[in-house]
Amino acid sequence: MPAPLEPHWFQILLALADRDLHGLAVMNDVLERTGGRMRLWPGMLYRALGRLADMNLVVEIEPPDGAAAAGGRPRFFRITAAGRRACAAEAERLAGFVEVARRKKLLKA
Amino acid sequence: MLEAACVECLARERRRLGRVGAAYAWGRLIADTLIAAILLRADERRRRRTAWVHVPPSAPKEILMTRVWQDIRYAARRLQRAPIFSLAVVATLALTIGATTAVFTVVNAVLLRALPYRDPSRLVLVQQAFPQMSLGFSPPDYLAFEARAGFFEAIAAYRNREYELSGVEPPERVTVTRASATLFETLGVRPALGRPFTREDDEAGRLVAVLSDALWERTFARDPAAIGRPILLDRQPFTIVGVMPRGFTFPQRGPILNNVPADVYVPIGFTASERRAFGSMYNNSVIARLKAGVTPAQADADTRAVVRSNAREMYPVNLSGLAEVLGGSAVLLTGEVSGRSRTVLWVAFAGVGFVLLIACADIASLMLARAIGREREIAVRSALGAGRGRLIRQLLAESAVLALAGSILGLVLAVWLSRAIVALAPPTLPRLHEIGIDGRILLFTAALTVVTALLCGILPALELSRPRGEALKEGARVSAGQRERRIFGALVAAQLAMAVVLLVGGGLLLRSFSRLMAVDPGFRAERVLTLATSLPAQAYRDAASVRGFYTRLVDDVSQVPGVSAVGASTELPLGVRERRAFTLEQELQAARDLPHSVAHECVMGRYFEAVGIPLKRGRYFTASDAQQSEPVAIINETFARRFWGTADPVGERIAWGNTASHGPWMRIVGVVGDVKQGALNSETVPHTYTPWLQVSDAMMADNIVAMMRSLRIAVRGEVEPGALAGTVRARIRAIDPALPVASVQTMNEIVSRSAAVPRFTALLVSLFAALALLLAAIGVGGMLATSISRRLPELGVRMALGAQRRTLVAMVIRHGMLLAAAGLAVGLPSAWLLSRVLASLLFEISPRDPITFATVGAVLSAVTLVACAIPAWRVTRVDPITVLRKE
Repeated sequence: MPAPLEPHWFQILLALADRDLHGLAVMNDVLERTGGRMRLWPGMLYRALGRLADMNLVVEIEPPDGAAAAGGRPRFFRITAAGRRACAAEAERLAGFVEVARRKKLLKA
Repeated sequence: MLEAACVECLARERRRLGRVGAAYAWGRLIADTLIAAILLRADERRRRRTAWVHVPPSAPKEILMTRVWQDIRYAARRLQRAPIFSLAVVATLALTIGATTAVFTVVNAVLLRALPYRDPSRLVLVQQAFPQMSLGFSPPDYLAFEARAGFFEAIAAYRNREYELSGVEPPERVTVTRASATLFETLGVRPALGRPFTREDDEAGRLVAVLSDALWERTFARDPAAIGRPILLDRQPFTIVGVMPRGFTFPQRGPILNNVPADVYVPIGFTASERRAFGSMYNNSVIARLKAGVTPAQADADTRAVVRSNAREMYPVNLSGLAEVLGGSAVLLTGEVSGRSRTVLWVAFAGVGFVLLIACADIASLMLARAIGREREIAVRSALGAGRGRLIRQLLAESAVLALAGSILGLVLAVWLSRAIVALAPPTLPRLHEIGIDGRILLFTAALTVVTALLCGILPALELSRPRGEALKEGARVSAGQRERRIFGALVAAQLAMAVVLLVGGGLLLRSFSRLMAVDPGFRAERVLTLATSLPAQAYRDAASVRGFYTRLVDDVSQVPGVSAVGASTELPLGVRERRAFTLEQELQAARDLPHSVAHECVMGRYFEAVGIPLKRGRYFTASDAQQSEPVAIINETFARRFWGTADPVGERIAWGNTASHGPWMRIVGVVGDVKQGALNSETVPHTYTPWLQVSDAMMADNIVAMMRSLRIAVRGEVEPGALAGTVRARIRAIDPALPVASVQTMNEIVSRSAAVPRFTALLVSLFAALALLLAAIGVGGMLATSISRRLPELGVRMALGAQRRTLVAMVIRHGMLLAAAGLAVGLPSAWLLSRVLASLLFEISPRDPITFATVGAVLSAVTLVACAIPAWRVTRVDPITVLRKE
């Protein structure tokens, strides 16, 4: 069984799963999806993106034409195939726990 | 992008929690960035390690930097565990580094920093000279010189005068510099606002003015619309055409003539009569810029040649005697400005430097004592492979941390101390207002930190890191070896020697100052109030109005209850600058070769009684010595003695000028006591007083030199002068409400102020000497105390074996006095050699004054004895049983 992903790494990969985003957009996406419970601060966010890139789970790409640059050159990221696989594996692992919670009647079916 | 993300986070938290959220967000962002930076660096290292490309291991420099950082952290932890020691050392360093930096800020501003002009090392002051007297240029002399001074790139004449500035509330007296239009070009500084005045303005006699930045701020609140507005100088309107930049000062204090920084600059505007005034009005200073490639020595020689040939060619025949003896010189401006302050400042700097060295010696002993306790730990480290260099670095790290903390605090203290110095310094010190902290000061403090760290730490470091196998032996006692004890002794003796040098310096300066204050100035300064006034030509156009004002003023003030005498003079004692050439109707053969120049004052009212100048022969002036009566004069004792010996000069006649051409004869009617014309330590010169009422109408009304319309009033009262000041001002206001009164001071204040520089120097050096003595005494006491605690077992054994406490106390005291003797043996000869430096600052006392040296020896011995007291008392409390039980 693959090692569990760090929760914030999982959320970042989830944000990038269906489209390429820049760092600020990832931050806002995660914030919204978790209902404000996970706040990614910029320093740690860019460090995480760096680690994910080292592990070849995401890759930095050229910003698309017309990308608005509010305050500096926007850095865009895209999930790689390996990244999708890792994210899917983690999602399945978490889904497993949800299944157990349902069986134990903690969650409605 | 990162910036956008940060902004987004701030906005989000502010929306969520308001100001608290914003503060939280700031803190979180800073922490987040720092942690991310650290982690990113770790990632980078890991990346390199695991890369398939071989990355060489960290360069030796990185290893060194890591280790140094380790040492510093370790040292900081160790110091935290000894808070009293650390605080004492940091406090001592803060005080001494702060004091040294403060004195250096003064040295920097006065001696080192460049003057606020373009390329100031190429500026020279050009002077004329009679034998024994430096002068400025008269207007025709300057114009002739300017025409032939091709060896200067630019040249300008200037002259200071005080004017009444009115139209502002309250009216004030300001210093105005009348200058040629070339002044700004010569200095290489343009007005920050507006324009300078031009040659056309000067030649057309236009009334235009350039203000200083300070005056612009005071009167116009830095309003740029001040350009084009008028100001009233001596009630004449001048149009403002420019404002000089902030920080520009001219003239500088330091030179003898025209040395008060001006608030306003106006065209010099030589009148027709000034242009013909050969042989008088030598009061214009001249400043010039050397041409490229011309050395100051060349310019000096050329100046002398031009001045002499101009005088010979142009002076009228009746002044040919003057033309023969006229000389000239060109000296560097920087030297003239700071030259006189140089010795004082370097002496002060050396003094405070000594104090710092003594403090470092104290701290070095402390650290050595502390380090001795770590002998075992250091031996273990050494055995485990730490090289000597590593050990030295570790031990230096502690002194570095202490020095850094001390110097940061010291810098803060220096800011405050330098302000205190500025407040207490004599106002004649040049560039006083420029004293402050700048880049050079910070660099100096940094260098001082490094030097202090080394001085305090190198000795313990070198000593402790020496190989010492015995420390690891079982049961080895940790104590100071023979060598360490000798080092302690040497440090303490060195401190005492330096303290001796400072004490001798302080003692000599104090004795010199007390001799100076004991000089009899020749007059009675108690209960005399003085004021200065100047009558503007606009309101007092003719001689009659000028005479009328002062006569009425003196009469009015005499009526004030509590006033016993009132008089006025063109100058006051200790400030008589005017010199005139004279000739005698009948002269002794012996006197013919003496220089025929005297100090001169015009006096009115009961001046002599007001100031307290005693009458020796003949009579004072009376009301009958007026315009229609025979011209009279009063001379001083020095004049009488030099030119008439023991004969009575009353009845003899004297005239201004020389034998070939002179003014009307004046009859000498009295001889008064000698009064100091200059500083208390200057020689009294022959002095002549003439009645102000007998001055010609032309001179009375003259507004160029304006001497007769700017009198100083002296009021002797039966009460304290302060009580009279208000009343006298009111009487002046009653006669002319618009006339400002300046320089209200008592005669005592004038006397005191004339000795400001010697007082300042003596106080400063004595303060340092006292501090040095205290630190040295602490050094002695500390060393003896440490030595006794180390030797407690030995002392206990001795006592158990029958030694008297008295003997042991004597032993301690002998040790202390041996140190004092060593200190004196080194210190007194050093002081003997170094005290020559003070020769120019001393008055009537030799730099090798035996009484001072003997006193210092006695004081040092006494203080050392006192420092021995506590350790000696400890010895008497030693209980041999307790000590032996511990063994």
